[in-house]
Amino acid sequence: MLPNRSRLSVLVFLLPPLLLYGAAVLFPILQSLFLSFFSWNGISDMEFVGLANYVRMFTADDVFWRSFFNALGYLAICLVLQLGGALLVASLLTSLRRGRELIKTLYLLPAVISTVAIAFLFVRIYSIDPVGLLNQLLDWMGLGSLERAWLSDVNTVLAAVSAPEGWRFTGLYMLIIYAALISVPKELEEAAVLDGASRWTLFTKIRFPHIRPVWITTTIMATTYGLRGFDIPYLMTNGGPGQSSELLTTYMYKTAFTSTDFGYASTISVFIVIECLVAVGLILFMLKRKAES
Amino acid sequence: MKKLFRTAAVAAVTALALAGCGGGGASNSSNVTPTGEIKPREISWLLSRPADGAVINIMKKLADDYAKNHPGFSLNLITTPDRPSYIQKLETLAAANKLPELFDTDATPFAQQLAKQGKMVDAEKLLKTLNVYDDYRPAALDYQRFDDRSLYMIPFQFELEFIWYNKSLLQKAGVSAPKSLDDIPALCTSLRKAGITPIAIDGQDQWPLERYAAYQPFRETGPDFIQKLKKGEAKFSDPAGQKTVEWLAALGKAKCFQDGFSSQGYSDAQNQFTSGKAAMYNIGTWELPSLATDKLNPAVRGDIDFITLPTTEGTATAANEFVSPSGIGMAVNSKTYDPLVSDFLKFALEKYPSEYAATGALSPTTNVKTAIPANATPLYKKAVEKANDLGDEQAMPWDTQLDPTTNGRLQQELVLLVQGDITPEQFTSTMDSAVAQNAPKFFK
Repeated sequence: MLPNRSRLSVLVFLLPPLLLYGAAVLFPILQSLFLSFFSWNGISDMEFVGLANYVRMFTADDVFWRSFFNALGYLAICLVLQLGGALLVASLLTSLRRGRELIKTLYLLPAVISTVAIAFLFVRIYSIDPVGLLNQLLDWMGLGSLERAWLSDVNTVLAAVSAPEGWRFTGLYMLIIYAALISVPKELEEAAVLDGASRWTLFTKIRFPHIRPVWITTTIMATTYGLRGFDIPYLMTNGGPGQSSELLTTYMYKTAFTSTDFGYASTISVFIVIECLVAVGLILFMLKRKAES
Repeated sequence: MKKLFRTAAVAAVTALALAGCGGGGASNSSNVTPTGEIKPREISWLLSRPADGAVINIMKKLADDYAKNHPGFSLNLITTPDRPSYIQKLETLAAANKLPELFDTDATPFAQQLAKQGKMVDAEKLLKTLNVYDDYRPAALDYQRFDDRSLYMIPFQFELEFIWYNKSLLQKAGVSAPKSLDDIPALCTSLRKAGITPIAIDGQDQWPLERYAAYQPFRETGPDFIQKLKKGEAKFSDPAGQKTVEWLAALGKAKCFQDGFSSQGYSDAQNQFTSGKAAMYNIGTWELPSLATDKLNPAVRGDIDFITLPTTEGTATAANEFVSPSGIGMAVNSKTYDPLVSDFLKFALEKYPSEYAATGALSPTTNVKTAIPANATPLYKKAVEKANDLGDEQAMPWDTQLDPTTNGRLQQELVLLVQGDITPEQFTSTMDSAVAQNAPKFFK
């Protein structure tokens, strides 16, 4: 417990960031909420429409629902690649004796490359004419029948735009999880090994419970980043072909800045905020329940 | 917490109210002769043109010349060549009432709303007052006009769009250049059989495919169909609409465009054509320096030729009527229009055409002659001369005509239609409901 004077000074120091947070995050959210009840194209008079934008969004907008389900697909692929990949690589790293730093750096490298460069890189990788890396590899492996224009095929484009985002941040989450894994007390692991625990038992009974708090944080981070994913799909396909890789974020952006329907775009953004909060709530709830059981 | 929430809500409302009221100064779009002293200052032009292109280079030079006699004057050119990004920038600035002295825009429904609100100077009156109106090509001005024939934008270019083709590739497939639009699907099939990509297209930027949607209705009805369609008075289910839908589906079925075209960009498409892989390429005279000079790949240089937009049986428009855009136009902000802006425009618009024509480009005016570059192939002159023989009508690009939401949806659905992912019936019903839902908001 901090003495009174010290608590006051803590509050004084906390206030500026709190104000900044209020101005940069809370205020725009409230502004969006306010705008979502209006019809406004930026230059016309603002017309109060009540809940009409919400009714349109839930009942009359096929692109909204398509984007919502696409966003869930995008999230699932990103989470598998980022968290699954990160956990796998981090676990393997702990058993490596040499070259750890090099591998860590290599995996982290995509996280520091600019998004635009990554988008262009993957557009080339997926290309069919001229033949890109992926189609070339398939050809060399004798899987020529699988060659396709990955970004033009409505069945593959969503996975194709999700993979770069997943690949990009795997290294970052790997680093966080690796740091947690090496903090697992060695004596516990050794005791378990002496008791005859298998590698899997070691992982599920000792390592994973120990890194659970870190795992929760990374899951929340990856989920919220995934739900807000925008730049790579927007740059690679602009949501196309058709609406096959349209996410809620890209749809909201287009509604606001191409269609100049700021009222309706705000309605979508309010939905995104609620969706993120619900997702975080669900993660906390599920992991807490699992921990209790 | 409740109190905090209430305070924040009030702040949000106040900020919005202030934004709504801010900068709404009185302006008059028809007052083109402002009186008073010329007070040199910096003026800005928000534009969407290539950073090192002729328009910017010439205007920079003219601004420097003007500044010699008007110390303190400067022209700040803020360019965003990527059109979708530019439009977003423009619309955001317009919403904030922060448009600069000069800004680029097409004759879009959004621009028409700005004009109706008196935010743009009447360009017809302005050009007449500056005594340059009659110098302009009627087609260059018409391209900038809204449907009610009012003119609020000044053109700085004049372009003609052709279908370029590779004679040797067509010959290899045993076909000749299309005489009618309806010949193209069969032509594509023959080219594909010979292992040749029929048409190179920049699918990423979406407007090139939208051009194809405009062709059949223009030949069938002239500008009538799109003018009605955008207001919801015509439908894709009408005969003219169905003709274009069926034709586009046929283009897709015949695999006219390169594989994976929807994710290929401007330079990818051009490379396909200039490297001799694709047989046809639809592009305007702004590409003359790369298609009709010695910069063109020597392997294909002798094989290249072009045709204007083919006609169809029973066509309503003539062969010399096709897409002849005068590019994005420049609008003058009425709020900041003063003796300085007026005087600078007078100076610049008088001198601009000769400087522009000297670069080998087509001027939007008829009082100057385009200089053919020394390294040009004979096609250069042939292309430039086409500008002297144009009909009265011109095919308007649909992306400047439709409301932005319908336009966005059309661009998306076109890709699906051409790729065969949706049927012509699905396309028709989706687009007709998109027009019905969005057009009324823009064309009240």
